[in-house]
Amino acid sequence: MRLQRRQRQKQRKPLMPNSTDSIVKRRLVIVGAGMAGSKLAYDLQLAHGDQFEIVLIGEEPQVGYNRIMLSSLLAKDITAADMPLVDTKKMQRLGVQIVSNDPVKQIDTATKCLHLASGERIAYDQLVMATGSRASILPIAGADAENVMGFRTWQDVNVMTALPRTQSVCVIGGGLLGLEAAVGLIKRGHKVTVFHRSAWLLNRQLDEPAAALLQARLAQMGIEFRLGESPASFGQEQAGRVSHVVCQNGDHLPVDLVVMAAGITPETTVAEAAGLEVNRAIVVDAHMQTSQHDIYALGECCEFDQQTFGLVAPIWTQIKVLIKVLVKDMANFSITPTPTKLKVSGVDLFSVGRIHPQNDDACIVLHDVAGNHYRKLVINGGLLVGVILYGKVADGSWYFQLIENKTNVSDMLDLLVFGEAYCRPQVA
Amino acid sequence: MTATSGKTTCPYCGVGCGVTVTLPDPQTGLVPPVSGDAEHPANFGRLCVKGSSLAQTLVSDDRLLTPMIHGKEASWDTATQQIADKITQVVKDHGPDAFAFYLSGQILTEDYYVANKLAKGFIGTANVDTNSRLCMASAVVGYKRAFGSDTVPCNYEDLESCDLLIMVGSNAAWTHPILYQRIAAEKKRRPTMKIVVIDPRETATCDIADLHLAITPGSDAAVYSFLLNYSAQANLVDGDYIAAHTEGFEQALAQAAVSTPTLKAAADFCGLEQQALMTLVDWWCDTPKTVSFYSQGINQSATGVDKCNAIINCHLATGRIGKVGAGPFSITGQPNAMGGREVGGLANQLAAHMDFATPGATELVQRFWQAPNMATQNGLKAVDLFQAMEAGNVKVVWIMSTNPMVSLPDTAQVRRALGLCELVIVSDCKAHTDTTAMADILLPATGWSEKDGTVTNSERRISRQRGLLPAPGEAKHDWWAICEVAKRMGFQSGFSYRSAHEVFVEHAALSAFENNGKRDFDIGHFSRMTAKEYDDLVPVQWPVPKGRPEGTKRMFEDGRFFTPNGRARFIAITPTLPQNQACLEWPFVLNTGRVRDQWHTMTRTGDAALLSNHTAQPYSEIHPKDAKRLGIEDKSLVRLTSPQGSVLLKAKISRAVAPGQLFAPIHWTQQFANASVVSTLIPQVVDPLSGQPESKHTRVQLQPMLEVSYGLIMSAEPMDLSDCVYWCRVPSKSGYHYEVAWSVSQSVNSLKSLKALTKESEQNEWLEYQNPLTGQCRLAKIVNHTFKLLVYCHPQPDSIAADWLVSKLAINERLTEQDRLAILVGMPANVEDKGEIVCSCYQIGSKQINKAIMAGVDTIDGLGAALKCGTNCGSCVPELTRFLPMATELTS
Repeated sequence: MRLQRRQRQKQRKPLMPNSTDSIVKRRLVIVGAGMAGSKLAYDLQLAHGDQFEIVLIGEEPQVGYNRIMLSSLLAKDITAADMPLVDTKKMQRLGVQIVSNDPVKQIDTATKCLHLASGERIAYDQLVMATGSRASILPIAGADAENVMGFRTWQDVNVMTALPRTQSVCVIGGGLLGLEAAVGLIKRGHKVTVFHRSAWLLNRQLDEPAAALLQARLAQMGIEFRLGESPASFGQEQAGRVSHVVCQNGDHLPVDLVVMAAGITPETTVAEAAGLEVNRAIVVDAHMQTSQHDIYALGECCEFDQQTFGLVAPIWTQIKVLIKVLVKDMANFSITPTPTKLKVSGVDLFSVGRIHPQNDDACIVLHDVAGNHYRKLVINGGLLVGVILYGKVADGSWYFQLIENKTNVSDMLDLLVFGEAYCRPQVA
Repeated sequence: MTATSGKTTCPYCGVGCGVTVTLPDPQTGLVPPVSGDAEHPANFGRLCVKGSSLAQTLVSDDRLLTPMIHGKEASWDTATQQIADKITQVVKDHGPDAFAFYLSGQILTEDYYVANKLAKGFIGTANVDTNSRLCMASAVVGYKRAFGSDTVPCNYEDLESCDLLIMVGSNAAWTHPILYQRIAAEKKRRPTMKIVVIDPRETATCDIADLHLAITPGSDAAVYSFLLNYSAQANLVDGDYIAAHTEGFEQALAQAAVSTPTLKAAADFCGLEQQALMTLVDWWCDTPKTVSFYSQGINQSATGVDKCNAIINCHLATGRIGKVGAGPFSITGQPNAMGGREVGGLANQLAAHMDFATPGATELVQRFWQAPNMATQNGLKAVDLFQAMEAGNVKVVWIMSTNPMVSLPDTAQVRRALGLCELVIVSDCKAHTDTTAMADILLPATGWSEKDGTVTNSERRISRQRGLLPAPGEAKHDWWAICEVAKRMGFQSGFSYRSAHEVFVEHAALSAFENNGKRDFDIGHFSRMTAKEYDDLVPVQWPVPKGRPEGTKRMFEDGRFFTPNGRARFIAITPTLPQNQACLEWPFVLNTGRVRDQWHTMTRTGDAALLSNHTAQPYSEIHPKDAKRLGIEDKSLVRLTSPQGSVLLKAKISRAVAPGQLFAPIHWTQQFANASVVSTLIPQVVDPLSGQPESKHTRVQLQPMLEVSYGLIMSAEPMDLSDCVYWCRVPSKSGYHYEVAWSVSQSVNSLKSLKALTKESEQNEWLEYQNPLTGQCRLAKIVNHTFKLLVYCHPQPDSIAADWLVSKLAINERLTEQDRLAILVGMPANVEDKGEIVCSCYQIGSKQINKAIMAGVDTIDGLGAALKCGTNCGSCVPELTRFLPMATELTS
């Protein structure tokens, strides 16, 4: 079937590189129309549309939306109209070709040609892998069921939105994604229990006191928590459908839906098959180039300096770097600490850098339980190296700058934790 | 009775400024801020910051409202009957000298008169002494030795018309601000006028001085001894005047020649450069119109009387007395020390400027009073009185309007004495003072704005203090309370006054009684005045004898004195340094005095939060060299120890004091700080003639308090601070503001277990801030969005401007989100850190002033235009001057 479609689609001449109007333009094909791919297409078209014939290929029906906003959409804080990340209509008008709902199945690097699920073949001069990642499904017995899902795509939101009221939902993972899903679901009137393997929520971004404030706030919304605990298994009274979670202590927790938010796995299947070097993700150099000439990768599917990327800020940097590279205006990507912000309605949270102090680090702490406000600054040798803000995050970007600029904060230690407004006169 | 305002006299220092009080708003009951009386000749409308803040002191939550007997409320009838019975009993069993009054320069002349009459004429004891003993007793004896009478020759205009003003032992800039400002204004108008300050310390007064002589403490007399000696050598003495109007010149000069034979000898004695002393000598020689202006720095000394006479000698020798712009001018510290002197309200006086030693005086007074039990000899002066009390000889004491537990030397002795006394009666307007705590019977007194009568200022000017506001509760005038006791002792006929007016008229009549010019104090003109005339009395300088209603501006213009032969007496003076010199064991000399914005023991000024801005905590000035040697940091806690006791003060490192010398203000009582009553240190060394204690010279040890941590506590409620090694309550507009120190370092968790906080820790959550890099830890408690309690702890002595925090302590203030954070900082983010408040009137701080100067302002007027600082009361101008770039040149 796949073959048939491919052959049928083969006829689409305009997509072939020998088209008359593309003599001076290089065809740049972007695999993946998520945030990284869409934004790359848009920015590149705007900046250098004269040099490229851009093709953007996505597996989802929706292209160019802001994935970060899915939790807000789920929580009904926004509507579909608020979702676009880039103006796809404008992009198309300017010449970007968009292929949606049609995943790439194979890359033929020898002929520089892509094979899509629909059977269509698309030639490229240069290729960018922006395949993103997928929700990791933990290897828990019974997880292979129809009502076990990730929280990744607009489609996932549609599934959750379509649920009848007051379902029992179990979210696996108390990280950013899991909590966003949990809040969205509780707001939709469901009963939500979050399982989290670590002793406190968001353990990679928060310390225990901040997490306690967050947990109290979420508990107030009605979310229940089982910390330090993963489900032992998923019970299926009816095959292929989870009916209850079996806890480590033997408790049975009835569920209608399980949302897996226990991490993401970079999507590298096609790249790997094409012979690109893949470690945890597609390995790129500082120019975002993969092991293959003319093939680049960015976003969640790439790995640089043994790191993968889940937050938006470095990926935007990658786009900037790659655009320069593509027009031979050389640039190098490097890793800087990236702050984490949680966007769950009613919760403001900011975390950046080394938040768990090491030996010679010192922590300045401000703690206002009743005021739902917590700050921890980790200081080392006169430099700010880590920040947790909970409750009031307006100073987050300022602290982030202090970290990025390696500003010596020795002279403002007595006011530092109180934020920019107090320290500005001293800095000036 | 439709008047909306009334004129009265300020209750603070001896300048005696006129004050206009606007009567309270009938709705709120609050008295609007007072203003200076433009027509009063002492101040012509100006007021210092203390005077300006009087209205703020009228609302006190600590008024004594009913008589109390051993802590229980009682009626006036019961209280006065018990007092009368007890006095009657001890007089019967032990004689009249078993009773004593200990009065105050704050009570009115009428109160004084009635107390003096009861004791000296009816009970039969001269044990009537007063806190004026601590203030100007030496000046009184000095004048009496020289003039035969306690007569201040000069007036305030002389300070403006002289060409040389020698300010010796006076920090008038802080203690008599309005006089200082009159002088400063004249100096500005007429820069050729010379001003010399003689003081071991570089005080704010030095800012207008052409010359500051930082003498060795207590060496003042040698300066004047040398001036006398040199005047004679330079043929400067007024031989005609000496011959016509004085006696004893030769002996006095001979002694001066022995004591201070040469410039070098005098300069060495005083610890001065010869050239500096010679500058003064030259100016003295060249300037006939010279006033010597002296105060507690001269008087509070074991040789205070001699110092006064050393000064007077020089003025007599050069005829610089009784003339415009010339004379020896003693300035009193209290609003009515002079009135007390006029009445005779001291143990070594009889009445109306008569002494027991004055021939015929006792009999004269007895006849005038129709007195049944006249005292016949001097009574016990303050220190002797409390020693007699400890010895069991004085069994009943009636203390009125004063706080001897803080003001007399050797607090431990005073405590023992009061503890042993069979009946301690305290009349006060405050319920809680260090002295009311020792009382058996408390009598509620009227206070300033309620009291009605007269006071006399330092230039002999009698002014009315008027009763403009109703007395609260059962508070009564002191004269009334005395009369009630007197009547119950059977002395109805002598004590049936119906008003202060009746008392004053009798006082005036006594002053004129068989006087005929023999006695300086004669206000016979008032002996028949009506109540209306009394109410309308305009300020006037005594003597006001019959036929001279305009009073007397200046005394001794005719060269006639009140000695038996009419001649002023020279006194041979041997300058003597204080006996208790610093030594290896007690290496520092402690000088005491006042701060600008507090008065005495803070019983009144402590109610005005504004007045605590200038100086919030008790301190000791320490020279940087001493501080460095002992490892003492600025603002850190130090212990001063004398053989009498020890106190804790905050170090104020300053070049104003010389190495080896310390200075500490006297104001803090146990109501305001746990361990800072400076009188605790002071030995009961007194001048043998005046009985005035040597409060300005105590040898002490100085030690840093190491390893303490410092804190700030603010609370809506009073706190139990018994686990603090040091605490000081800083008067605040609302709630309670404490500066504290702990003997251990603190963490957020250890703070929570403090006594004051354990209850709080059980309920509600704290706001917490901990910073191991700075050592700061802070806790705050907010209940229902209202700020209740805050504790800051820091390892270094630090001060945080508390105004904003205090404003947030207001009970009904709902805190914003920003406020919650700001409470842990101490200030809102958008507010300028003013630094330490310098100008109390406009609340302008050091950082603002420095900023203005950095921006180019270089004059006092410029600062006033930019920030308004110094443009109201002007008390801060000397300090503002120090901020200006050229300040060092001016004061060099």
